[in-house]
Amino acid sequence: MLLDIKNIKKTLKNNHVLKGIDLSIEKGEVVAIIGPSGSGKTTLLRNINFLETADSGMMKFRDQQIDMAKPSKEKILWTRRHMAMVFQNYNLFKNKTALENISEGLIFGQNMEKKTAESLAEAALNQVGLIDKKDFYPSQLSGGQQQRIGIARATVLNPDIVLFDEPTSALDPELVGTVLRDMKQLAEKGQTMIVVTHQMSFARNVADRVIFFADGEIIEQGNAEEVFDHPQNDRTRKFLSAIAEDY
Amino acid sequence: MFDFRFAINSFPKILSVAPTTIVLSIIATLIGLILAILIVIIRERKIKVLDSIAAIYVSFIRGTPIIVQLYVVYYGLPQLLVALRGMGINTNSNGLPVILIAILAYSFNASANISESIRSAYHSVDYQQYEAAVSVGMKPTRAMTRIVVPQLITNLIPNFSNLFLDLIKDTAIVYNIGIVEIMAKANIMSSLGFKYIETYLDALIIYVFICWFFAKLFQIFEIIARKRISHTQEFV
Repeated sequence: MLLDIKNIKKTLKNNHVLKGIDLSIEKGEVVAIIGPSGSGKTTLLRNINFLETADSGMMKFRDQQIDMAKPSKEKILWTRRHMAMVFQNYNLFKNKTALENISEGLIFGQNMEKKTAESLAEAALNQVGLIDKKDFYPSQLSGGQQQRIGIARATVLNPDIVLFDEPTSALDPELVGTVLRDMKQLAEKGQTMIVVTHQMSFARNVADRVIFFADGEIIEQGNAEEVFDHPQNDRTRKFLSAIAEDY
Repeated sequence: MFDFRFAINSFPKILSVAPTTIVLSIIATLIGLILAILIVIIRERKIKVLDSIAAIYVSFIRGTPIIVQLYVVYYGLPQLLVALRGMGINTNSNGLPVILIAILAYSFNASANISESIRSAYHSVDYQQYEAAVSVGMKPTRAMTRIVVPQLITNLIPNFSNLFLDLIKDTAIVYNIGIVEIMAKANIMSSLGFKYIETYLDALIIYVFICWFFAKLFQIFEIIARKRISHTQEFV
């Protein structure tokens, strides 16, 4: 087991956002988390990366046991250096070029030498076909290009897990395809991924496991066929029929 | 009648004290900037007790006229030093140069105003970039210095430039505590020749030139900083 989370709880202003979630991820697994907006999917990811602190919960990541309510600074840094995150709004560094956006984490997160980091970053840009944009600033790039650089920034770190927080939700429909293609390639290479998404096609076709999440709880999980074609729970059925035109 | 000769003759004499105005403004702004950074760190990190003290300090200074602050420091500081001596701390209240008092008063004033500008510049850098920076494994301080602070500085420059120009103009009242700078010299020249418009026009020209010079300087800084960030520019 690469990541094993037990009983994570989070309350925001008397609102139980996460009601004691258990989640285990195997190495190489691609897990898609689907569900209505405001159900706590994003909060779950942010708690795993310690961008927010849970009220309670234990996390075992690789060989480290971490108390999610009271993580030490060292454990937080260690976790973040073995994970990476892709954000809904890309969150590229606006004062850095495309190349620097990718190399920054290598140089200042992993203490890599600048030259090595830059050549790795160039390779990553080549891979997503944006090498001609390497000296462009985020403001000069389209949303799709920015997000693909966001993905390159995360994967260049060679993380054990990449967390995707609705990576295509802020994109124009016509740009969604290129980003999903990058993500699919990544999945095929065996990258462990947790993907919070509203793209049912991705969940259906790429994910090894689909988790349906609602009201701060995991309602149902299984492979795509089980969840999409034979949902056991009423809540899941309602959600799927409401978004039926999507897939 | 406007006395051109008097105006022209007075000009170099008034200009000769312009360095006092400029040096006072620059030193007070630099000290104010350092204090402001401390205030911002205290307030943004919400350090207990100090946080509320800083907030009160800022609203106090921003809510009172600079001339009152100047007088409070001018009359209050020597008394404070006397009181400190009474408590056994070795201070000399007699030899306090007025320029030091002015620098202190203007530093306090600048610190409050600059701290508010820094705070607004800080809040205009979106927090999500900080989150992205720590998520790629940077330490929090690294994320600040590499990602947030450079963008903060760019946002700060226009406001900082305004505050600095305001401070230059505000120093025109330090003649009240006996410092001879541009305005004081203009007053002195006027009373010598009983001609007023001539010397004040000289002062006006000198102030305009000083402010124009610094405004341009900051503008150049801003252009350089924006080039590195370019998030408001579109040159695809």
